[in-house]
Amino acid sequence: MAKKKLAIIGNGMGTCRLLDEFAQRDGFTRYEVTVFGEEIGGAYNRIQLGKVLAGEAPSAIVTKPPEWYDQHGVRLLAGTRVQSLDPLRRSIETDDGQSRRFDLAVLATGSQPLVPPLENLLVENGELRLGAFVYRTIGDCLRMRERVRPGDCAVVIGGGLLGLEAAKVLSDLGLHVTVVHVAQTLMNAQLDLLGGGMLCRQIERAGIFVRTGRTAEAVYGEERIEGVILDDGTSLPADLLVLACGVRPRVDVARAAKLPVNKGILVNDTLATSVPGVYAFGECAEHQGKLYGIVAPVWEQAVVLADVLCGTKPQARYRGSKLYTRLKVAGVDVASMGNLEPELESDQVYQVIEDRRSAYRKLIVRDGQLVGAMLVGNTAAAATLVQLFDRGDPLPEDPLEALVSARSGAAAAPADRTICNCHKVSEATLREAIANGADSVAALGECTKAGTGCGSCKGELGQLVSTLVRKPAAALQVAN
Amino acid sequence: MARAAPQLRLVTAETTKTHCPYCAFQCGMTITAQHADRRQLSIQADPEFPVNRGQMCIKGFTSAALLDHPARLRSPMLRQNGRLVPVSWDHALDFVAQRLRELSEQYGPASLGAFGSGALTNEKAYLLGKFVRLALRSPNIDYNGRYCMASAAAGQNKAFGLDRGLPFPVSDLAEAQTLLLWGSNCAETMPPIMQWVFEQKNRGGKLIVVDPRRTDTARSAALHLQPTPGTDLSLANGLLHLAIEEKLLDERYIAERTEGFDAVRRSVLTSHPAHVERVTGVPIELQRKAVRWLAGAERSMALSGRGMEQQSKGTDTVLALINLMLALGKVGKPASGYGCLTGQGNGQGGREHGQKADQLPGYRYIEEPKHRAEVAKVWGIDPAELPGKGKSAYELLDSLGPAGGIRALLVFGSNVAVASPNSGNIVDKLAQLDLLVVCDAFENDTSANAHVLLPTTQWAEEDGTTTNLEGRVILRRRVQDPPQGTRSDLEVFVALSARLGRPHGFQFESPREVFEELRRATAGSKADYSGISYEKLERQQGVFWPCPSEQHPGTPRLFAERFAHPSGRARFHAVPYRAAAELPDSEYPLYFTTGRYKEHYNSGAQTRRVAQLVDAKPVPRLQMHPSLARRLGVSEGEAVLVESRRGQVRFDVLLSGDIRPDTLFAPFHWGGKQAANLLTIPALDPASRMPEFKVCAVKARAAGPLKD
Repeated sequence: MAKKKLAIIGNGMGTCRLLDEFAQRDGFTRYEVTVFGEEIGGAYNRIQLGKVLAGEAPSAIVTKPPEWYDQHGVRLLAGTRVQSLDPLRRSIETDDGQSRRFDLAVLATGSQPLVPPLENLLVENGELRLGAFVYRTIGDCLRMRERVRPGDCAVVIGGGLLGLEAAKVLSDLGLHVTVVHVAQTLMNAQLDLLGGGMLCRQIERAGIFVRTGRTAEAVYGEERIEGVILDDGTSLPADLLVLACGVRPRVDVARAAKLPVNKGILVNDTLATSVPGVYAFGECAEHQGKLYGIVAPVWEQAVVLADVLCGTKPQARYRGSKLYTRLKVAGVDVASMGNLEPELESDQVYQVIEDRRSAYRKLIVRDGQLVGAMLVGNTAAAATLVQLFDRGDPLPEDPLEALVSARSGAAAAPADRTICNCHKVSEATLREAIANGADSVAALGECTKAGTGCGSCKGELGQLVSTLVRKPAAALQVAN
Repeated sequence: MARAAPQLRLVTAETTKTHCPYCAFQCGMTITAQHADRRQLSIQADPEFPVNRGQMCIKGFTSAALLDHPARLRSPMLRQNGRLVPVSWDHALDFVAQRLRELSEQYGPASLGAFGSGALTNEKAYLLGKFVRLALRSPNIDYNGRYCMASAAAGQNKAFGLDRGLPFPVSDLAEAQTLLLWGSNCAETMPPIMQWVFEQKNRGGKLIVVDPRRTDTARSAALHLQPTPGTDLSLANGLLHLAIEEKLLDERYIAERTEGFDAVRRSVLTSHPAHVERVTGVPIELQRKAVRWLAGAERSMALSGRGMEQQSKGTDTVLALINLMLALGKVGKPASGYGCLTGQGNGQGGREHGQKADQLPGYRYIEEPKHRAEVAKVWGIDPAELPGKGKSAYELLDSLGPAGGIRALLVFGSNVAVASPNSGNIVDKLAQLDLLVVCDAFENDTSANAHVLLPTTQWAEEDGTTTNLEGRVILRRRVQDPPQGTRSDLEVFVALSARLGRPHGFQFESPREVFEELRRATAGSKADYSGISYEKLERQQGVFWPCPSEQHPGTPRLFAERFAHPSGRARFHAVPYRAAAELPDSEYPLYFTTGRYKEHYNSGAQTRRVAQLVDAKPVPRLQMHPSLARRLGVSEGEAVLVESRRGQVRFDVLLSGDIRPDTLFAPFHWGGKQAANLLTIPALDPASRMPEFKVCAVKARAAGPLKD
């Protein structure tokens, strides 16, 4: 059977994952795949852009070098922009004037950074004025890096995930950094007022200045940017301006092709658009009214799309993703999942505020299930909570127990269990021996014979000694 | 009898040094026999054997109970009118040979199959492989080692070009500054090994344990990572991601001693710690601590157990751990690197000598023309006479009966009806056989459907070698005469091949003669035994293979200079994460995982017959977290019905905070209605064909009182 021609438009993290999923499913035996990538080179891990900004070689974050595509028989057209797509004639026009046929097309065009309408920001040809940058590609980071000098001043517009990451890297490079954020608190998509405030104080303690509830109105400087003027009239001198105020799905090609587009390209549970043979996923796609701007949902979509297209699980369906953010923001651990605030009257909210430690934990519980949680400054319970959240497992009767981690093993085993099987010595006997003065594993062995057979219970004996004798013992145990 | 003077007893007491019949640790033991009025044996741990150094677990101490056990088979049994009745050996062997001939003629030689065991000595494993290929002329032989460490074997072969459980003596554990035990509860499964772990700790070493349960082993650790069942691969990839992020790699080692790192580096770039935390449930801080401890120590060692290996991605999981240890530059350095804690007594030797569907003696491949020629030469046949590759363990058992095409099965030292995943299916398939022959010392769950039972001798009644988890070949000794009416498996192979009209190549009088041929058959191979003799084994407390000549002392440590691939380099393998074959969902919302009790061994065919062991652990208990128990409304000791898509089992509950609230655990040592493997899933690893014993989805509810 002749292979079908599959065109993938875009070569970001979604496509990278989709190709891996295809490889695992022998998808390249069914499809002749062409990937259209606007950037030069292969796919890379956008989440790690901070590394490149901080000075590492771009190759450190490349997930698929061009050779990978060759080895897997995938045609990569890097540095090629798709001008238009004709779903009826099934052809794609690129900016090099070529036209290519396809049988199936997958739009994975991602998103582009929003450029806010600041006065004087753009030069005549519509480009950003020298010194102003968006933070989206390896190219952006390399250009920014060239201009960065310790002692320079930087203003970052946008106090979300990306903006705070850029701010941290720049601060670590020795710059004076101010973050300007339109909302009342930082990371307002992931944190409530209290959490955002807590984060803000921590970030300022780390040496970054924050202006919340402010917007930038204009930039000044002619040859290059010299500063930013805020809506309250304040001027902030700046050698570097980083725009991190959100992204917009890239839908121009889809719109021009007359594909159904709302905010994003409309897809159903199979990631198909209503036009036969055309699919879309990732940040450019809109599923059930939702657009996703973080990587985990995009990967989940890639798995479903690969299952459907490769026929490994044709009935696979994408039902939406649960949102989870987990990162270290300027040295502060943050985790956030699901709802930020209660929605129903019956929703229960639990908050643990440790003001002096700048730690904050919040749970939103509906019908005994976790529908939202945020952790700032103390994320020890993140692993437990996110699994409860993902699976909708019932919470403990007192949901706060989940915060001390369900796996800390608070429940004691019955005291009469046999610890030394060779000599049939029970825990109760051992406790008694310890109470009567046996203060080591060896001493226990002398008076009870425990541990003198096969010796395999010595670890437990040690633990018993260390908990009951109350002195630093040889056998330490740190469970999570 | 009354006249037997006490002095006389003492004079005739005789002490023999040998090894335990159970696990791969193969503790040295001394057995003292009183040759007086009664056969009485006393068993002690051998303080001089350098592996167990005088320690032994309760199974070893009580192992003599099996020898003169009242339930022991003492006569061949033949099924007549539905009942097994005693018959003479000649009668039984004639019957078996006759049926094998008939079935072979009617359905072809590939309709005959055999199932071996990691409990067989090297001599038996070797001769069984030869018997199936030459006397039965069938490709279909495999063994229960496929259920044991096949994933570690496949992983080591891919990465190092060689598979030996531990590439170093077990005493090296004590010298590791960081020791990682991943998916091994060796405090219960191999108790005497803990002396080396404790010594490691006493010398100031750090111990890390990865296990979904806080086991006895995990209690001993300074750091316990408790991943969600079936997510070990994600965790291992995540650790490598962190090692890269924190710049902990040994770049020079990677450049000089390995190949393929770049693809692996790129592949783990997307194993972000936060993502790994979400998948595995292991907090980022603990991931970080683990990798820092491994990288920060000059001598660090990672050992895997069945927990990470018995998954449908077990081989990849092993490879991910090997990737980590290679990237940190540890493999082949003193008291460092990767090893596997092999499970069965002769799990190591059992996989080297041709018991596997795809292998010939000396780890040679049956599909490799050069290897076929080498073995054919020793066997004095034309290579063309050797069959090709057969079916792997579960696939072989799943093919029993008219539909699958295997009409006759000979089982040696394995209780497949309990040990296989989705065991209900296997029990059904066993019942469809035209001929089932079980060679064992006892009746067991598998023999319930047998047409013929052949009573065999046991470990202390015959000589033979095994190869322990270190790759140390050791000698087991005959301590007393076998009971009347029993025969060694070796004698069975010899007698049957003669009756099948193919006696050529089966003229052996003793295990030693078989071993002498095994030496020749492995000469020049990876697992080269040619320089090993029974005398040398006694003299040296065992010999580590490869040992290519009489003068060669053996090879305790591997990979110091080079790896076994032609390039001499170790190979990295990119192993992206994939989920378990079956995940919890709304219908079956819990994970189920299996494991062992210290008091029992494998399917319990032996240990469930030892009173002391049964007293200590009479029944399997379902380990359950108290918070889950509260939700299900059950309390300590109450019955719970656990159900998977394949079967259901009723267990009594053991409440414990040591298990994750989303996971249930039960031991697999029991058969019949208590068999944990009625629940498990037969999803196989694509490389090792290992079934996914360690994770499937179940539901559970209070069972109420038993009605009958």
